[in-house]
Amino acid sequence: MTPWLVIVLLLGNFVLMAFSAKTDGGPRIVRVWSQTAADFVQSPVTTIGSAISNYFGSISNMRSAQSENDFLKQRVQELEVEIKGNEDLTSENARLRSLLELKEKSKYKVLTARIIGRDPSVWFDSSIISRGSLDGIKLNMPVVTDGGLVGRVTAVSPLTAQVDLITRDKSGLGAVVGEISASNVLGVVSGTSKKDVLEMRYVSGSVDVQPGQIVYTTGQDGIYPAGLKVGEIVEVKTGSATVQHQIFIRPSAGINSMQEVGILIYEAPQRIEFEQKLPNAVKEEKK
Amino acid sequence: MDQVKITIALIIAILLQWTLRNIAEPLAYIDFPLIIVVYAALQRDALKAIFFGTFAGLAVDALSGGLLGSNGFSKTLIAYMVSELARRVYMDNLLLRIPVIAGACLLDDLVYYGMHRLLSQDPVGNVLINISYTLIGTTIVGTVVYLFLDFLLVERARSKKREMFPNRRQTRRRNPIRLSK
Repeated sequence: MTPWLVIVLLLGNFVLMAFSAKTDGGPRIVRVWSQTAADFVQSPVTTIGSAISNYFGSISNMRSAQSENDFLKQRVQELEVEIKGNEDLTSENARLRSLLELKEKSKYKVLTARIIGRDPSVWFDSSIISRGSLDGIKLNMPVVTDGGLVGRVTAVSPLTAQVDLITRDKSGLGAVVGEISASNVLGVVSGTSKKDVLEMRYVSGSVDVQPGQIVYTTGQDGIYPAGLKVGEIVEVKTGSATVQHQIFIRPSAGINSMQEVGILIYEAPQRIEFEQKLPNAVKEEKK
Repeated sequence: MDQVKITIALIIAILLQWTLRNIAEPLAYIDFPLIIVVYAALQRDALKAIFFGTFAGLAVDALSGGLLGSNGFSKTLIAYMVSELARRVYMDNLLLRIPVIAGACLLDDLVYYGMHRLLSQDPVGNVLINISYTLIGTTIVGTVVYLFLDFLLVERARSKKREMFPNRRQTRRRNPIRLSK
C-alpha cells in the first residue's frame, strides 16, 4: 500500500513541477491561497521582528552616541553654511525650471509596499509584498525602488503579491545602454546564477560599450515601461564583428537590502496580433 | 496525543520557514519542515511521514519562487526512505539520528536541485555553499529539536523509566503507642 502511495504522490508532485515549469509560475490558485494564509503570520512577525531589531539597534547605537554627539555638533555648523548655499541654489533651480517648463511628475502612479516575506527556500529569492489585488495590483506590474528596477509581480492574492526579481535566471527585459533616444546599443538583460549580477545579451560586438555606463529599460518587452534604470555596467567581455559582447551589470535597486518597494500601476499596451493567414491561401468553400 | 503534537510541530515548522528569513537571512539555511518530517519518519509510521512530507513541501513551494511540487517531491521521497530505514534499523538513539538528519538534508537538497535542473530551471546562488550551509544549519538545529521533541513526546519512555526505577514502597509504620490494650 505504502509504496504505491509514495509513487502516486511523487508522480503528482512531478506533474505539478512540470506544469509549473511550463507555465512560468504554475497553478496560481495554490500560491494565492497560501499567500493569503501566510499573510496572517508574516505581517505580524515582520512587524514584531523589526521592532525588536530596532530596539536592540538603538541600544547599541547609544554606546557610540557620546563621541558622535561632538562630531555632529561640528557637522551641524558646517551644514548650516551648506544649507544656506543650497537654498540659493534651490531658488535658482526653481526659477530655471519655471522658465524651461520642465515637468518632474512621474508618468505612472506609484503604490508603496512593505516587504513582508522572503522566499522560504534558500535556492530562490522572490519576495512577498504587503499589497494585493484589493489595492489594484495586477500580474506583471513592474516593481521598483528609488534606485531602479526590482522585478515584476508574478502572483497576486487579495492582500499580498509575490515579486520575482530581475536577478532570477528566467527573467528577461529589453534594455538599452544609455538613454534610449541617444543610443542604439540594445539587448536583453537576464539574471545569472549569482544574486547581484545581471547579464546583458545579444549586444553586437561592433558597438562601443564601457564599464560605468547605465542601462535602462526600452519598454519593448511588453512588461516594463521605457526609461527605468536597471543598473550599471561593471564588466564587459569585448566581442568582435561576429561575436557578441558579454556584458555584466550590477542592479542599481539595492535588491539585497530593500525593505520597501514601489509598484508602478502600469499595464503594458496590448500587442497587435498580426494576420498570419495569406489572403491568397484562403480556399473558397465548395458549394 | 503524540500524533497531534507532531502535527502541531509541523505546522509551527512551516510557519517558521515562511517567516524567519525576513528577520535574518542566515535562518533560511535551516530546513525546519524537513526536521519534523524526518522525526515523523523515525517514528516508523510511513504513511504519516509521507503525507507530512508532501504537505510540508507544497506549503514551502507555494511561497517560493521555485517550481511548485519540487519540495513536495523531495520531502515525500525522504520521508519514505527514512521510514523504511527506521523500520529495518533501530534508531531511537539520538547519536544515530544525527547522521540520519544530515543525510536526509543532503539528499533533499540534491533532489531539489536536480529536479530544477531537469526541468531547465537554474536556482540562484552557489550550489556547494547552499548545500553546505543548509546541511550544517539543519543538522545542528535538528539535533536540538529532536532532544526537545523527545522530552515533550516520549511519555512511554517515562513510564518505562518508572518501571525500571520504581519508587521505594512506603510501608506504614506501626504506631508504637497502642491506644487500645
